Amino acid sequence: MRPQPGSPWRAVALPLGTILGMAVAWEVVARGADISAHIFPPLSVVLAEGWRVGPTLARSVLRTFIETGLGFILGAAFGILCGVAFALVRPLERALFPLFVVSQTIPVVAFGALVIIWFGNTILSKVVIAFYLTFFPVTVNTHSGMLAVDPQKIELMRAFGASASQIFWKLRFPAALPTIAVALRLGVSLSLIGAIVGEWFGDTVGLGVMLIQAMYTESVPRLWALIITCGLLGASLYAVIAVIERRVVWWRTDA
Amino acid sequence: MADRRLMAKSALGAARLNLGRATALQRFLPLAVSLAVLLGTWEIVVWYFDVKVFVLPAPSAIAAEVVDRWPILQKAVLATLNEALTGFALGIAIGLLLAMVLVLTPPLEAALMPVLVAINCVPVVAYTPLALIWLGIGPASKIAMVVIAVSFVILLNTLQGLKRPEEGQINLMRSFGASRLRIMWTLRLPAAMPSLVNGMRVGIVRAMIIAIVSEMLGAYRGIGWIIFQATQQVNFLQVWAAIAVSSVASMVLYLLLVWVDRKVVWWK
Repeated sequence: MRPQPGSPWRAVALPLGTILGMAVAWEVVARGADISAHIFPPLSVVLAEGWRVGPTLARSVLRTFIETGLGFILGAAFGILCGVAFALVRPLERALFPLFVVSQTIPVVAFGALVIIWFGNTILSKVVIAFYLTFFPVTVNTHSGMLAVDPQKIELMRAFGASASQIFWKLRFPAALPTIAVALRLGVSLSLIGAIVGEWFGDTVGLGVMLIQAMYTESVPRLWALIITCGLLGASLYAVIAVIERRVVWWRTDA
Repeated sequence: MADRRLMAKSALGAARLNLGRATALQRFLPLAVSLAVLLGTWEIVVWYFDVKVFVLPAPSAIAAEVVDRWPILQKAVLATLNEALTGFALGIAIGLLLAMVLVLTPPLEAALMPVLVAINCVPVVAYTPLALIWLGIGPASKIAMVVIAVSFVILLNTLQGLKRPEEGQINLMRSFGASRLRIMWTLRLPAAMPSLVNGMRVGIVRAMIIAIVSEMLGAYRGIGWIIFQATQQVNFLQVWAAIAVSSVASMVLYLLLVWVDRKVVWWK
């Protein structure tokens, strides 16, 4: 969804207009149609509920944000390290890469309770779950990005006497960065999911906790307020990564 | 959104490179060896350090538990598979249909795409409580969650695939009097097949995980339900057994899809 060149205003106006239209449609349908507010509350009710629980909501967002951020940074660092190692040391790739793939078929939530036992009922256990969801896509993309480097360029650098570390820092790693950036954008969304799910297993603050509480009290307006909040948090995290990416990976051809 | 499909492409592309040019033995030998080493080390560590069952049970104990509880686990995994596969099939149908409609009517795409992107920004797990309240704790809520997760992956992948044919080819067909539908059927759809299959590969693993996550929040049966119950009863051996069964099930589904892909999508 890249904005069309020459119409920056349209690129902003169209999505904004659609979202405003959606908000109005939501309000009108929920009020007009004969649906009980318990099932489908109007947007105004949802926003009022969000406002009412504002302070708790703000604390929860902050908490979930910290968990997501820590899990994401650790997962991204680990993923890049593993991806680089797999790309440079083929035997390592043969031995470990399949295990990485297998690890992703394991539903991490199933481990929720175990992670709490291993790491205590602290912020650490949520970070671990966010980490677990993040590292795999980053590993895979770092690996494939490093391998996709044109071998002729490597030969050229080698012919001019470049050392292995020079080839790595000047060619392989920069060439892989656009692919890595793609995985980072996916990873930050997954981190958020990990943090939210991790909070289901016992905590007092956090968006995941609020979701569970709202479910048990069957408070649909609050659920909607939380869904919107989660969406906003997810979108902002995504945007932050995208902005950093545009600054750092300015040379990206279309990855 | 572009990143998802690229992600899917590169992840699965890597997997395909590994799978494509090797015999069955070469393909599975590294996996078998590393799994064996992992399980062996695990077993020895647990035995040597006398690790408590609730911290980490030995693989042999987990295997014994799976055998012991097979009737229950089998029923649960079938229930979960049923939800995951129903949702998967519906999700593919909805995602594919929506992608085709959006490509056929560009104004609709311009209007709907921001909405879809907004919906996609919400972590899918946030919808789970709402699905449970709306649809009850039977299979319907799980299927709905899987449909949401899968249809998005399929939609985004297919949309990109459907747009791949070049303008020139499309104009050529149009100048020979082909209708939009005909162009869709004979040119765009075949071109979108590889991206569709990539979406399916990502989707199938996600379908199982989402079904299990939803079951853990409330269900009558299924692997997620077993895990939830076992957690409540502090029976961690059973948690591990359920995890083992569901992981094997998702792996089998994934390999099945890879196999079907190679047998059926002959035009790649």
